[in-house]
Amino acid sequence: MEALKIVDPSLLGLTSEQYSSLGPYLWVVGGSLLAMIFAVVPFIPARISVVCIAIASLIGAVVSAAHQITADRTDLFAGMMVSDGYSAFFNILFLATAALSILASVRYLEKQKLEYPEYYVLMLFSTFGMMLMASTLDLISIFIALEIMSLSAYVLVGFRRNDRRSNEAAMKYFILGAAASAILLYGTALLYGSTGSFLITDILARVTTKPELMTPAYHLGGWLVIVGFLFKVAAVPFHMWMPDVYEGAPTPITGFMTTGIKAASFAAFVRVFISLGYGKDIEAAIGGRLHDVLWVIALITMFFGNVIALTQTNLKRMLAYSSIANTGYLLVGMIAAPHSEAGYAPILMYLATYTVMNLGAFSILSVLSGKGDTNLNLHDLSGLARRHPWLSFAFAVFLFSMAGIPPTAGFASKYYLFYSAIQAGEIWLVVLAVLCSVIGVYYYLRVIVYMYMRENEGLEKFAVPALAAFSIAMMVAMTLQIGILPSKMIAVTKKVVAKL
Amino acid sequence: MEWLNTHLLTALTFLPLAWAVAGMAIPGRFSKHWTLAGSLLLFAVSLKLYYGFDPHGAEFQFAESVEWIPGLGVNYLIGMDGISLWLILLTTFLMPIVVLSSYNGVEDREKEYYTLLMALQTGMIGAFVSLDSFLFYVFWEAMLIPMYFLIGIWGGKDRIYATMKFFIFTMVGSLLMLVAIFFLAYQHKMQFGSFSTALVELYKVRLDGSGFLSTQSLLFLAFALAFAIKVPLFPLHTWLPDAHVQAPTAGSVILAGVLLKMGGYGFIRFAFPLFPQAVVLYQPTFLVLGSVAIVYGAWVAMVQPDMKKLVAYSSVSHMGYVIIGLFSLNAIGSTGAVYQMLNHGISTPALFLMVGMLYERRHTKEIKEYGGITKVMPLFAVAFMIATLSSVALPGTNGFIGEFLILLGAWKANPGLTVLAATGVIFGAVYMLWMIQRVMFGPLTNEANKKLKDLSLREIVVLAPLMVAIFWMGVAPNFFFRKMETSITRLVDRTAKAGAVAVALKGER
Repeated sequence: MEALKIVDPSLLGLTSEQYSSLGPYLWVVGGSLLAMIFAVVPFIPARISVVCIAIASLIGAVVSAAHQITADRTDLFAGMMVSDGYSAFFNILFLATAALSILASVRYLEKQKLEYPEYYVLMLFSTFGMMLMASTLDLISIFIALEIMSLSAYVLVGFRRNDRRSNEAAMKYFILGAAASAILLYGTALLYGSTGSFLITDILARVTTKPELMTPAYHLGGWLVIVGFLFKVAAVPFHMWMPDVYEGAPTPITGFMTTGIKAASFAAFVRVFISLGYGKDIEAAIGGRLHDVLWVIALITMFFGNVIALTQTNLKRMLAYSSIANTGYLLVGMIAAPHSEAGYAPILMYLATYTVMNLGAFSILSVLSGKGDTNLNLHDLSGLARRHPWLSFAFAVFLFSMAGIPPTAGFASKYYLFYSAIQAGEIWLVVLAVLCSVIGVYYYLRVIVYMYMRENEGLEKFAVPALAAFSIAMMVAMTLQIGILPSKMIAVTKKVVAKL
Repeated sequence: MEWLNTHLLTALTFLPLAWAVAGMAIPGRFSKHWTLAGSLLLFAVSLKLYYGFDPHGAEFQFAESVEWIPGLGVNYLIGMDGISLWLILLTTFLMPIVVLSSYNGVEDREKEYYTLLMALQTGMIGAFVSLDSFLFYVFWEAMLIPMYFLIGIWGGKDRIYATMKFFIFTMVGSLLMLVAIFFLAYQHKMQFGSFSTALVELYKVRLDGSGFLSTQSLLFLAFALAFAIKVPLFPLHTWLPDAHVQAPTAGSVILAGVLLKMGGYGFIRFAFPLFPQAVVLYQPTFLVLGSVAIVYGAWVAMVQPDMKKLVAYSSVSHMGYVIIGLFSLNAIGSTGAVYQMLNHGISTPALFLMVGMLYERRHTKEIKEYGGITKVMPLFAVAFMIATLSSVALPGTNGFIGEFLILLGAWKANPGLTVLAATGVIFGAVYMLWMIQRVMFGPLTNEANKKLKDLSLREIVVLAPLMVAIFWMGVAPNFFFRKMETSITRLVDRTAKAGAVAVALKGER
């Protein structure tokens, strides 16, 4: 009885502001529960109803999250969770990723004879996990969010259940993902042990006021948490799981993972990263050496990702390695963020544009892929431009964008990132980064070579599904729009990180 | 109309793109006529620039400024001076010629071809009018995309290798330039309190230029690498012969006529005024490289069995003159260099066009396949002769004025190297005249050549403006100098004097 009195009753109820800031989460949870029911309701074909419910709940959630991007910060559940511009920005990103991946999946699943409604339900669960990743301030909740997101993803990766590669990918992902989670959890335990708090803001406050709390256990805990996140974002040398997983997963899921899961991992990473005192002038913290270690990791990640991508002939694998390279660029942004005027804004901008162009590319790959995820080798694209001029045009836009050529979104965001790194004094890192990105130009353009400059010997003409065409067209428009007029996006990201 | 008068440069930059987008709606077989009409219209509009430009007025005229990315201090800032005026006119002048010359040569995917040509023009004019270094970079890079497709789709047998090499070479240089631009913008913030990439603002930034590895020198090298690749300066020229030989005729013409000028223009507009001390420090290096390029290009051209490759290497040699003219850092040399850029933009396109005409008839560019062409194609032979003489700088043609001024300017800077560079004039005569001899004169031995038709009316129309320009520029150079001399004086003042003073001061200390 004594214990009950300790709980402040006001914590058990929620104010109306708090309810409304939970709107996006409620939409997604509600949508997934409803979808589960409709998946087993007789007479109504589940493949239609579930897709409609999923899309509707995502749209509802986007609308409700859009209000919060400018709203004030709202603390939830005694500070374990927060609803601010940062989380709203990422929520919109994840919701859009999920919606666009679903649009790309509908016909894909039909082609693969995999039309099971749980696919969409799992996507919604995973999306919910991502949203929590961006909004929790508590190491335990971060871990739970990570697991909600990852467990659904493990199943989705193995969704082509009759395919050996898909099963292998799921198994690999599960084992290595579990290992990464374990490392993260171990780090969490050590941080809690040395500071007595799970709240990441609290941890920073405590070590700042009481430097003697920074015991070796604290350092080890910090490092383990960082390594756990580096696993999740697939930085070299923690990337080993990634190419096989990305190749084995169903194509729309690969797109979903390279964008959504990566962005979610970075969203949580940034929050934790700040709380570990990087760039905050804490003496003797892991700050000093963290910079050097990340510097090296960023460099080898960019270099390794780009060089290995050069040798790939399978498009999914190529984009997987290019995603590693992109992690490297993002790490450059992480290193520079505390010392530059824009702070973490370039990372948000980069993640958003990377999501747009990468999802676009994977939507195209979903359209191209035949049964059993075939037809995704470079030579299958030979002469594609003659049969599908618009699809090739769209793919070319995405590839130019990934290569960072103006006037595309990839150009704007990559150089916004490098611009801020120069402000932080990381000139040599930026020089090396741009040289690495020249390597990238070669393999991106090679795809265009196949589409436009090779003879007509690739795939036969096929129908482009309307839903996928719609989402691809939207992403082309966004890629060009952000590329030509990036200032609005920059302003939004700046505002969002200002309150971080 | 009122809008056009106040936004002339914007109209000129984006009209081609708009025209190309509109052209997508019309059937493919009309797109060449549509594009020709557009490029002629554009040339007419660009003439307004000539009449509107007052050489004694403000430094940059027809200026426009719109906020673009305020967070990074980037504005849409355009304008032009007497140097960019002529390069813009060169671009718009060549464009109708290029389009008309492609009438028969291009049959595959016509609509895409002409759309890309127009898009390319937007990139080129945009780069010449940008007064913001970031904006310049955007146009400079965006320009690569259409050229990449033009070479890669309509090029020769090894087109993919050539176009990739072209793209990657340019990218390496320009990305380092971008890093340097960011660094400058950051320095501007440190010194003046706000980010800016506007050129006139960056001119004010003071940087340490005291040594070969000082900040200023490193930034200069980053810019110089981008421009030297584009020029192309020995030893970074290796992409050029590949790209020229594989590109379709129109691609070669634009590449030689305009894109190479972008390198020289970049030196004038960016590298020189931004880093005056570094330029002085590196002057000998570039003079040597320029002289080597002249002689090396000429020697290599001499032994080429392929006409197009010969002309390509002659470009390396001719652009070497531009480099030594610019790096002599005096008004005469700089004027000569700008003039030489225009000359090269007239005579080399003429040669490429005529090689293309022969190729359309015989489907070979090998010199040994020809001989005695004068007998079957007399008109063609006359035109070819004129272009050749212009290329070897015969007095009375445009080439003479440019090379003469450059050598005069270079003599003041470094007599020894000028002697070396001057031998290039002789070698130039050797390879060009030797080619003429083998292709045009001698007995008509090859059966296939006996039935060759002389120039058609369309081809005459294509070549005539170039022939007129060759003589006009050779006889009345003042017509051109009048509009550019103030701008060149400003350039030289800003660069040479600031640099020399700074270096002298350092010597005294």
